[in-house]
Amino acid sequence: MNWNSALEFARGPFFYAALIIFIGGMTYRFVRVLLLGWKPDKVPGKGSKLGGVAVSYLKGLIIWPFIPWVKNTFTRNPLIYLAGGLFHLSLFTVLILGTTHMLVWKSLLGFGWPTLPLPIVDWMAAAGIAAMIALAINRLIHPVLKLLTGAAEWLNLLLVFLPMITGYILTHHLFFPYEMGFTIHMMTVNILLIWIPFSRIAHFMFYFFSRTIHGAQFGKRAVTP
Amino acid sequence: MKTQSAIQTLVSETGGWVAAQLEACIRCGMCAEACHFYQATGNPEYAPVWKIELLRRAYEQRFSVSGRVKVALGLERPISDADISRWSTIDYEACTMCNKCALVCPMGIDLGTLIHGVREALSAAEAVPADLMAAVQKQVTEGSPLGVTDAVFDQRMEWIADEWEVELPIDVKGAETLVVFSSIEIMKFPGNVAAIAKILHKAGEKWTLSRKGREVVNFGFYEGSPERTVMFMKRVFDAAKELGVKRILVTECGHAYDALRWNAANMMEVPVGIEVTHIAGELWNYIREGRIKVKRGALDGGGTITFHDACKIQRRGGFIREPREVLGVLAPQAFHEMTPNREEAVCCGGGGGVIAIKEADPNRYAAFELKIEQLRAVGAKTVTMTCSNCRLQFTDCVTHFGLGVKVAGLSELVAEAME
Repeated sequence: MNWNSALEFARGPFFYAALIIFIGGMTYRFVRVLLLGWKPDKVPGKGSKLGGVAVSYLKGLIIWPFIPWVKNTFTRNPLIYLAGGLFHLSLFTVLILGTTHMLVWKSLLGFGWPTLPLPIVDWMAAAGIAAMIALAINRLIHPVLKLLTGAAEWLNLLLVFLPMITGYILTHHLFFPYEMGFTIHMMTVNILLIWIPFSRIAHFMFYFFSRTIHGAQFGKRAVTP
Repeated sequence: MKTQSAIQTLVSETGGWVAAQLEACIRCGMCAEACHFYQATGNPEYAPVWKIELLRRAYEQRFSVSGRVKVALGLERPISDADISRWSTIDYEACTMCNKCALVCPMGIDLGTLIHGVREALSAAEAVPADLMAAVQKQVTEGSPLGVTDAVFDQRMEWIADEWEVELPIDVKGAETLVVFSSIEIMKFPGNVAAIAKILHKAGEKWTLSRKGREVVNFGFYEGSPERTVMFMKRVFDAAKELGVKRILVTECGHAYDALRWNAANMMEVPVGIEVTHIAGELWNYIREGRIKVKRGALDGGGTITFHDACKIQRRGGFIREPREVLGVLAPQAFHEMTPNREEAVCCGGGGGVIAIKEADPNRYAAFELKIEQLRAVGAKTVTMTCSNCRLQFTDCVTHFGLGVKVAGLSELVAEAME
């Protein structure tokens, strides 16, 4: 098989098609939720909604994912909270601050930015993969997660895991010839992009809705979110 | 079983803000860590996310592509009668709507409110537990779930006035503040009624009680019936309008405060210019402004005293700081916090109508064991709170478990310490 032409397809037309499906699908979901209507809140507040929203994001984005013991509730099993936080940190570091990924962004957006040295990105990637395995094991054994987990949840995990592991293999030149490894990586990325609008991985968009609502509701009551 | 009405309700209440939150859920299950019923029993069905499963199914099956595909492929079934009765057990008997789960959710989903939405659907399906529904019906017909009719109200108030030698003004036009007690206070903790009356007199408040608005408790809100929630709130608002008061002071009742203060304006026409407030905040205002004088350190020397945060008055009501300021004056030495506390406090296990449902007793007692752990860890001799529903649960459980802990309403402690 000619891996060169396969690669051209995977990083060319197929990638752009996947990107269009991804953006179109996410836009559809965004608009659909907006169109369901929003009731105005007529209740006078005790505290500031805006202040609540600010604290909500501060906690949600910075403090809470990485420091489980800021909330007493989580002293029991901090590992899973650390794994969840580490996974996301790894994902964003590799996707944004990894040099090869930045070049993809540059080709799409027309501008680039400074990146981290490869060894750091590489360790972050390894940490992300480890965190993901921990989360998968937790999903297998936790009684609540057993109840909540269906085919869709496993597919989410698998389709996110594949680009990560194939990317790692590619960087380390393991198992496959370069073109073949690259092709496999791009194919898994494309499949993931197409799958996201149909799945709960789309939570990254709705996160901003729910955290805003949360902050506003708690802030309104003068309670720390 | 009116399962179709339930589905209708679920679909119709799914506005954008509900849908956005349902879409945000990643099914990570972390909310289970927050739920006292899950922690106490280990039953995975008590995880808050599972409590809103019906809402998610109704929403996806009606509005989302993947939901419709799932049904078409037979991966998911439409909501059935069996589902309705199963979730009736889960959502009424193992949830106090305390909303701690919302704090724990990494996405910040307001689970308590969404669970209330499921209760609305269960109520539309007429799948409310019989005990709870009987109490609701009693409030519809007699004006109070604990049977405080006009006659009983007069009788109790007369007795309290005699017994505690305190004046209880009823239906006084021109008063500024309408005080509405819960029937739990009137029937079970009359000392609280007397204490609050004494404090209000001392503070020089122009206040009155009302026969029409004699019951602040809202069992329609527990049940999740918007129609009956509004019916019961309207009685209080109508009384306030007729008496021409400027504000409604809710006494030591949590759910009622949540309904009147945080939900009424979005559910009905509320009279303009009438403020709704809670005694938990007023107690501190009176002390701070010097309107009542209390003996500093009055409660020191009687062993450790701790404060229990009521979900609807502290975490969802915003009166977290005020009771602590009060205790800082009354017991600067003896007051110690349980862990966790404030907005992260562990629920008493009896709110949200749970205490009214006999079948929920095992859950209620199991959840209280978490509270016992906390009380033991801090070495509490006295536990105080600003919610008589919590207090009912504490009093019952102290007897049930044979604990040597005194349970007191904060207003009573303040009244005792008054100079």
